Amino acid sequence: MRRIFFALSLLLFFTLQTFSQTLTGKVTDTDGKPITDVSVLKKGTRNGTYTNNAGDYSITGASNAVIVFTSVGFISQEIDVAGRSSLDVAMAVDNSNMSEVVVTALGIKKQSRGLGYSTTNVNTEQLSVNRTSNPINTLQGRVAGLNVSSLGTGPGGSSKIRIRGQSSINGQNSPLIVINGVPIDNTNFNGQTNGVKGGGVTSDGGDGLSSINPDDIESMSVLKGAPAAALYGSRAKDGVIMITTKTRAKGNGIGVSYNMNYTTDTPLDFTDYQKEYGQGENGVRPTAPNPTSGEWSFGEKISGGMTHTLFNTTGIPYVAQGSRIKEFYRTGKNFANTITLSSGSDKGGIYLSLAGVTNDGILSNNTFNRKGINLGFTQNISKKFSFQGNVNYTNEKNTNPPNIANQDNSIPTTLMALANTMPLSVLNNNKYDPATGNEYIFSRFRNRTNPYWVMAEQFQNIRRDRIFGNISAKYNILPWLYVQGRFGQDYSSRDEDVNNFPTGQASRAATIPGFVNGIFTQESRRFRETNMDFLVVANKNFKDFEVTLSGGGNKMERQLDINNVQVTDFVVRGLYTVQNGRAKDPVYSLIQQGVNSLYGSGEVSWKKTFYLNATVRNDWFSTLSPANRSILYPSVSGSYVFSEHLKSKWLNFGKLRLGYAEVGSDGDVTPFSDQLFYAVNANTINNPSGSAVSLGSINGSIVPNANLKPSRVSETELGLDLRMFNNRVNFDFAIYSKITNDQIVGVQISDASGFTNTRINSGKSSNNGFEVLLSLVPIKKKNFTWEFTANTAYNKTKVLSIITNKPGERITVGNHVFNGELRYVVGQEIGQIAGYGYATDAKNGNQRIFQANGLPLRTADLVLFGSALPKWTGGFLNSFNYKNVILSVFIDYKLGNKMLSGTNFNAIRHGLHMNTLEGRVGGVIGQGVNQSGTPNTVATPVQTYWEHLRTQQIIESVVYNGGYWKLRQISLGYDFTKLIPAKWPIKGIKLDLVANNVLMIKKWVDNIDPESFGFGSDNQAGLESAGMPTTRGVGLNLNVKF
Amino acid sequence: MKKILNISVLAIVLLTVSSCDKGLSELNQNRTSPTTLDPVLILNTAVLNASFASKSLYFDIAIVQQMVSPNGGVLAGGNFNADYRGEQGLWGSYYTSVIKNTKDAILKTKDIPARSNLYNMGRIFQAFAFMVLTDEYGDIPYSEGAAGYTDQLFFPKYDAQSTIYPKIIQELTEASTALNVSGVVESADVLYSGNIAKWKKFANSLLLRAGMRLVKVDATKARATVQAAFAAGVITDNADNAYIRHDANYGNPIGGTLNGGEAANFYLTKPFIDRLKSTNDPRLSAIAIRYVGATSGNGQTVASGNTTAPIQIGMPMGKDNGTIVPQATVDGLASFYDYSQADRRRILKVTSPCFIVTASQSQLLLAEAAFRGWITTGTTAQYFSDGIRAHMDQMAVYDAGCAISASARDTYLAATPLNAGTELNQINTQYWISSFLNGPEVFANFRRSGFPLLTPNPYGQPTNPDVPNGTFIRRLTYPTSEASVNATNLNAAIAAQGADLLSTRIWWDK
Repeated sequence: MRRIFFALSLLLFFTLQTFSQTLTGKVTDTDGKPITDVSVLKKGTRNGTYTNNAGDYSITGASNAVIVFTSVGFISQEIDVAGRSSLDVAMAVDNSNMSEVVVTALGIKKQSRGLGYSTTNVNTEQLSVNRTSNPINTLQGRVAGLNVSSLGTGPGGSSKIRIRGQSSINGQNSPLIVINGVPIDNTNFNGQTNGVKGGGVTSDGGDGLSSINPDDIESMSVLKGAPAAALYGSRAKDGVIMITTKTRAKGNGIGVSYNMNYTTDTPLDFTDYQKEYGQGENGVRPTAPNPTSGEWSFGEKISGGMTHTLFNTTGIPYVAQGSRIKEFYRTGKNFANTITLSSGSDKGGIYLSLAGVTNDGILSNNTFNRKGINLGFTQNISKKFSFQGNVNYTNEKNTNPPNIANQDNSIPTTLMALANTMPLSVLNNNKYDPATGNEYIFSRFRNRTNPYWVMAEQFQNIRRDRIFGNISAKYNILPWLYVQGRFGQDYSSRDEDVNNFPTGQASRAATIPGFVNGIFTQESRRFRETNMDFLVVANKNFKDFEVTLSGGGNKMERQLDINNVQVTDFVVRGLYTVQNGRAKDPVYSLIQQGVNSLYGSGEVSWKKTFYLNATVRNDWFSTLSPANRSILYPSVSGSYVFSEHLKSKWLNFGKLRLGYAEVGSDGDVTPFSDQLFYAVNANTINNPSGSAVSLGSINGSIVPNANLKPSRVSETELGLDLRMFNNRVNFDFAIYSKITNDQIVGVQISDASGFTNTRINSGKSSNNGFEVLLSLVPIKKKNFTWEFTANTAYNKTKVLSIITNKPGERITVGNHVFNGELRYVVGQEIGQIAGYGYATDAKNGNQRIFQANGLPLRTADLVLFGSALPKWTGGFLNSFNYKNVILSVFIDYKLGNKMLSGTNFNAIRHGLHMNTLEGRVGGVIGQGVNQSGTPNTVATPVQTYWEHLRTQQIIESVVYNGGYWKLRQISLGYDFTKLIPAKWPIKGIKLDLVANNVLMIKKWVDNIDPESFGFGSDNQAGLESAGMPTTRGVGLNLNVKF
Repeated sequence: MKKILNISVLAIVLLTVSSCDKGLSELNQNRTSPTTLDPVLILNTAVLNASFASKSLYFDIAIVQQMVSPNGGVLAGGNFNADYRGEQGLWGSYYTSVIKNTKDAILKTKDIPARSNLYNMGRIFQAFAFMVLTDEYGDIPYSEGAAGYTDQLFFPKYDAQSTIYPKIIQELTEASTALNVSGVVESADVLYSGNIAKWKKFANSLLLRAGMRLVKVDATKARATVQAAFAAGVITDNADNAYIRHDANYGNPIGGTLNGGEAANFYLTKPFIDRLKSTNDPRLSAIAIRYVGATSGNGQTVASGNTTAPIQIGMPMGKDNGTIVPQATVDGLASFYDYSQADRRRILKVTSPCFIVTASQSQLLLAEAAFRGWITTGTTAQYFSDGIRAHMDQMAVYDAGCAISASARDTYLAATPLNAGTELNQINTQYWISSFLNGPEVFANFRRSGFPLLTPNPYGQPTNPDVPNGTFIRRLTYPTSEASVNATNLNAAIAAQGADLLSTRIWWDK
């Protein structure tokens, strides 16, 4: 009914248009060439037309109107007709995007025209419309040189951001996140790196960025290289993501808007397992009750008949089961609502938003809720004095984030390795052993937990309250001189309780009589970072010169205190509380650190053509010894707008830029790492005389080093920025070379030293690469525009030195949960996957060598299989605008990386992988030669053959090209604004339909999405172990403005 | 005016710069962890951490054919004659959690006369730990071992075993002598509650063990060391046994493994069971259990458990989970889950003790010493039967359910005389039984003595790439981490000792 009314109103509206006098004219550029498809609109109405191929237009009823001429790439003009019947217009090329203002380091706004380094402004609407669980994930593939990956853990999950690759050998590679000029905490709580004490839990506990509501973001820019980020000194090694949140309405007046986003996440199944042979071992299906082959599919050929369940005497049909993923997981739902109220006037304004996010993860007991309030304000008290600020409060509750990337207690691992004829319903119906109430053992691998049991018995609750914000005051002493003071704080409290090992888990040993087994952990942590800074800025023109000088200082302090109590075994079964625990292990730790800084910058420009900028920053660190404490970071950059001299018809703007900077990273010197500490165990033990005695030991396995200093990056960057053909062809290119010196290497030392690591300043790596951004407007017609953007980045990081620069010197930085490791090797690309391969015979064309029993021989030592880090990242965006309909299609890719797939290793070992079909009858005859060089003819039983790979740790067959091409996103938007009657209280309606992770165009790894990684740490890059399935998101975004 | 402004600006700048590092040192003080600790507590940690880890089960205990698993993966070791090449044995755990702490305790007490007893206790325990390591691997970092913090030696050089043994002997001799019975009693000691007399016996028993180790390579030194140890007094009474007491908080690692995830994966071997069975050894029913008719881990219930000796069936060596299935049928079993296990509810509980030096072991070593004529007090036969008796009496310490009655013991002793011509075989076969669960010791003594007579594990033969056909594993290979980070020193050791293979014999095993 309402829809009909709406349509009728529209119809009326158009028919009531008055038709009278006609206005004609020609629109040309400043050189007199006609411009086609210029929009000619009578201001304040919907009465308009477009110019034709000759640039001519004709419009009626416009004799006393103001006409608005607009065309992409030209400066819009508004001309009062004042009774004329003919009006020719010459439109000037719009280089305004060249005077685009970007937020640079310390929150200083500058015109992008003069920048001597690369920054990229992010389309913030994308963040809001194409919402992903963590707002930053939307950026994947969209910014050249920015590599975003998530763990696929859904709502509340973390994402990993790397700008221009990773440079640090010890894994500190996250960019600094700055909101409104003040850094915030982005601690990552993903499973393997910051896992819950006591083990058993490898869930993804999220990161700091996820508490930002994308609707509140006004602008976001990425400072990619050291020259851009130099003013952040020791915090700038990995680039900076600068986020500015809204502090007032866009124009004057009051605005209310409502944004609703609803998406569903459908789990994707990439498995292509064999379904010819079912559960069983050595070619035999289970025929006796309680078989133990629940994880093996080396049984008989599936040809009907019955088999036995894992749990009792009941028989079940011996038939292949369907998709585990589709059966086990549910469709996730994400529902986000934001209401904003904003006002603005000449004096300032406010912005207030209330947001609520409700997510149901694909794991049926996983939910994530976030409520947030964001208040921004800006006020000019007088001509000289102004202040602004923002406060963001969020309350998050993450319930049961899934365990990933582990062999034990991990739902994904069990699901991905389960025998292919075993119905999930059998597992679901037999979670509990009827005799004991414990987990019913279904596999001889007891730590392959029954997923339904985990769902029923394990819980993890994470609650976080976070408030961050800052307030700044600015005083203009003189027209060319101002001072600014700012105070910012990021405070969060995070509480977590989790039963690491629920009572009765099959793999846990029973405890002493009188108690039941299990582990429960309760943790609360409070984090606070404060930043106080001041800035003095002077800006003055001297004839053709413009000079800007600024100086300031910052005082940063950070404090983290953690209360953690872990209890083992319980008195009352099922009651997971600290007081119900038998053995208690409480830990309290207090970590403090601070950095004081002074900095300054000077910029000189001449005729807006030549720019020269120099900065210097000095940091003083609490974590370093007094002798090493003070470090200076300089930078210099310049740019030349050569289009000022090279006048050309097609060149609208051209700039060459060059920058050099030295920055650092203090992230790798942790507080108190200069001394050896001891620890006393929480529990005593009785000595032979029966008295309780304590145990104490040296804390940790790292030899402390009191002489550490931050690592140091020197980066040179050269760039070219071109805007051509009336800005229809834009090209931005950057090439950089970055050397990271004095890296703090967590050097693995011989464990015969009593310790496993020490930290030394010796690592050196180089990052070399380039970034290209090309944007085109191939078609620009009256009703139709096609815009195309392509970005690509290439980065290669090489390890130059670890302890010395001897080629081949190596350290192991991470291990896969069972076989294979990640190494850094001098002279090689960073992040080498290493493991045993197949031994080959150099004399016989590198054929594989088989033992006399037909089993493959492994290499004598671990071999390198290549770097786990992508060399190429990028994407292609096509957007089509037809009338008010916008369609955008986005493709992205990551290429040039290897991955070790644990899921496939399990699939091979358990007889699920397609490869294991070979030799089911008569055994596998491996292709190659025997030890004497003649072709191998010995057949080995199929199960023995494939399990041999696991026993011998031969990973070669599961090292894959980890790259992919994906149709990442399609969105279809329609702007209803023009259809709304002026009298309606609604000022705008926009509806977008979005689909994320639409289609896998190309991948190389079997059975999984190469993006479904379980590890977040750089030190485990490329080491895949069953994680959550990736999902396809489909949904809508509705934005209503009042 | 301008000048004043300039000066004041300069002054402000200087003031700011100079105050920039104020308070930073105070921030970097750890308020929640101590920087010193009573060294006796650190020695306690070393003692607890010396309890043999599960790797000892996968290698030592499987190599000497006492327990094996038919399963591969992380369990592959002695059962498959496999050079797993990851972390084998006790290397990492001993260096980083035993010797690291003994080293610290020794260093902190060295110059404090009042802690002299503790200092010497630390030395003794450290000598024990080093002996375990060198017996497993051969040449190891000794003089530079575990000195990562104290001497900043991150990549220690390896010492030849031929030089390590004299040093261990010297350490044990000195420390044992220096222990002062009337000195300070370190009552917080977890091993002996600071009882110096017992510590002395512990040291001397280790000395006896070290001396006997050298039988093949240096009989003279072996003899002298054994004689010295005997003269100083070794453990001959179970009350003096050196064992690590475990409780619910500080569990036995192997007990934990066999009561947890690997409960249904390890079985007593056929050679072990058959030996005990054929001699009517009452220890068989004290150790073993068979879950009759079990076809899965679920089937291994208390109700189906049977501990009577005649019913026990050991798992043959050299089977994997393919070949064990028909073998179980041949053996008349429901499945491989039906083979006998070391009883996880008695001898291998989570809280079961871990014996490191026992009266039984010392008595049996003395039996051999007497047989060789190195000691003349007491007879070989007496030491032999005392050694068996001590082990049988010791069983009750594991669990009341493991206790062997005096009558069963005496019946066995009466039926087990020491026969002329087979003394060494009999003594060392008994040593094999009485060192059950002490993997490193039973592996070392098997190589030293050549007894018991076992058939080499046939797994993968005749072309097993890791172990030549018809031979036994003679040592463990170094952890791959050593090749990664300490290659220069490792390669020097390999050059001196021989290829880093399971089949390479160590110095005292030539």
